[in-house]
Amino acid sequence: MKQNNGISQLIILGILAIAFIGFTVFQLLAPDKAIKANAAPTPQVIEKTVDVPQGSPAKLTLYDAPKTVTPSADATLTVEGQPVFVYDAVVNNTHAFSKTPKLSSTPMAYFDFEGEVTVDILMTGLADPITSAVISPISAGIQAEAKDGHVRFILSKPGQYTVQFNGSPNKAMHIFANPLEKDIPDKNDPNVIFIEPGDWEIESLVLKDNQTLYLSGGSILRGSVVSDNVKNVTIRGRGMIDGSLHESWVSAGEYARVPIDFRNSRNIKVEGIIINNSNAWCFNSFQSDGAEISNVKIISARPNGDGFTFQSCLNYTVKDSFVRSWDDSLVVKNYGMNSDKITFDNVQVWTDLAQSCEIGYETNKGQKSNSMITNVTFKNITVLYNFHKPVLSIHNSDDALVQNVTYSNIVVENALMGRGDAGDNNQLIDFNIAASGWSSTANRGKIKDVVIENLTVLKTDSDVTPPSRIYGYDEEHMVENVAIKNVVINGKKITGNKDLNAKINSYTANITVE
Amino acid sequence: MKKTIFYILIAIIVICIAVSLYTIFQAPATPEPVTVTVTNTTEPAPEVTRVATPDQTKAQIPAGFEKDEPVAPALPSGENLALNKPVDSGLHTDVYVPKNVNDGKDLTYWEGGDFPNTMKIDLAGTYKVKTAVVMLNPAAIWGPRTQTFEIQVSTDGTNFTTVVPSTQYQFDPQTGNMVIVDFAATDAAFVQFVFTQNSGTFEKGAQAAEICIYE
Repeated sequence: MKQNNGISQLIILGILAIAFIGFTVFQLLAPDKAIKANAAPTPQVIEKTVDVPQGSPAKLTLYDAPKTVTPSADATLTVEGQPVFVYDAVVNNTHAFSKTPKLSSTPMAYFDFEGEVTVDILMTGLADPITSAVISPISAGIQAEAKDGHVRFILSKPGQYTVQFNGSPNKAMHIFANPLEKDIPDKNDPNVIFIEPGDWEIESLVLKDNQTLYLSGGSILRGSVVSDNVKNVTIRGRGMIDGSLHESWVSAGEYARVPIDFRNSRNIKVEGIIINNSNAWCFNSFQSDGAEISNVKIISARPNGDGFTFQSCLNYTVKDSFVRSWDDSLVVKNYGMNSDKITFDNVQVWTDLAQSCEIGYETNKGQKSNSMITNVTFKNITVLYNFHKPVLSIHNSDDALVQNVTYSNIVVENALMGRGDAGDNNQLIDFNIAASGWSSTANRGKIKDVVIENLTVLKTDSDVTPPSRIYGYDEEHMVENVAIKNVVINGKKITGNKDLNAKINSYTANITVE
Repeated sequence: MKKTIFYILIAIIVICIAVSLYTIFQAPATPEPVTVTVTNTTEPAPEVTRVATPDQTKAQIPAGFEKDEPVAPALPSGENLALNKPVDSGLHTDVYVPKNVNDGKDLTYWEGGDFPNTMKIDLAGTYKVKTAVVMLNPAAIWGPRTQTFEIQVSTDGTNFTTVVPSTQYQFDPQTGNMVIVDFAATDAAFVQFVFTQNSGTFEKGAQAAEICIYE
């Protein structure tokens, strides 16, 4: 019995030994699952950031200014961190005509791009710190961040942009963000006049048939480009035609050195350039037929500095362009033969003096029989500021028939008419048949078939609806068939003549406001 | 024998307990660091082209645009009989009225409105005239052009005689943008120019900044 007990003890001990051996082997060979008195420490996590570019890179073309030009002391600009030259553009913040007006300056810059770019403006020329900035056209919906004297925003679409600081037009910066250039002309082509980057003076350049004038970005051409009785001519590039070297044309011994003047010419194309500080009007055409004008930027400040002024022209289209002028910004007149099919499409205007979208006053200065101005369209127009005379106007001061005029999709961001010497000519809409100081005919004319549709006015003085006027001359010289539709002023829908604050005399017929 | 086995088993058990206790209370090893890669989506760097400009201290005439100084021909000596005398023409264009043609200013000009354009100058007296000068603005902006005209004279203002038949003339700012036409000396109280062509205007419109008449 005692022997059996000994064997049993050994068996038990053997089992225990086997169990301990198994446990020990488990602890040694399966450290991940082994029983541990202390938890394993958390492994150190090393974070590694990898930048992965996504999408196509933005493309930027930047143009140095001619070495003769002093950069603006009011602003510096970078795009995607790259410095962009800022010019001081001459502007005129007065609103009364004078032969010797006081001139000012405002920052202006240009570049070409594709994609999405970050723009950074550092304004040093303002007396007060920047607390806010607004980008126009407001319809573009671009939000600006104003911080520490900088204004930053993102552009994703080429166009003309105006940045206002602290809610003021003072020192507003005009940025001309062009699309990238394509198909730059061959400088060795005998029909190409190729102006290289730099500062160049040519008293005048007379284009001939089939010629292209190319103004390189970074060029300034000081002179006039004229075409008289030519066809198939083109002016393009990113450069500038500048009139700064010459006194105003109203000065003794001077004359109008109009930067671009087409007379009696056909098949014209103008694209991409800037017209700056003309000593007279800026882009003129007389009795010419067929023009495609796009992405042309105009800033004028001196007497009679009309922007696009077309007299007796046919088949003219201006699109995607910008005018800041010290006289009518967009204007159609008859000085000779009839005007027909003139279209302004997607144009921004800032009118410091006179009218923004004008027909007249001279509707038959050439004193022709049966003079007519027909089929004139202003569409997709943004009026950034209109300080002086009417925004939308037909002033029939001669004996012509003005017919089929359309104003469509017009946004007036700041309708501040009546400044300076505008007097009672401070209307939002002004259609008037009357003699004036610009009349050439004894008889009066007519205005027929005019449409204003989708007119939005964002801001007026004291939130008051500005006046409008529709006046015929007599029973034989009436304003007829004017349809005014969908007008919103200061957020309020206009539903009738009274709402529009319009004076309409008895020499009118079929005037509707709805 | 049993005893030996007993001690061996005890020894095994003790060793196993010792080893197990060691593995249980052994300080855990420091794990290897873990690298976590974070992907940050960014805008790719822009492709920038910068166009440089040459060293200049003032505006220059670009290569190929240099011109010799214009050389205008000498005007005849004597009085310009046409200066500020009465003038008459048919239609004119825009603000370019007939009286600009003899106001003594070559920055102002007359532009006719229809071909043939007739410009009649009343000399306010009868003179033996022999030279006519037709000028355009001499500025280069008035590029080269041709104009065709005939010169007629009259002593009564009604009956005119041709002294120079219709001729095409070249106007060029490099030569003063003027033409001087000499003809046989003729008594004239009126001199009339009949324009029929101007390459500088479309379809119609003579142009003259000044017309001068000399004995």
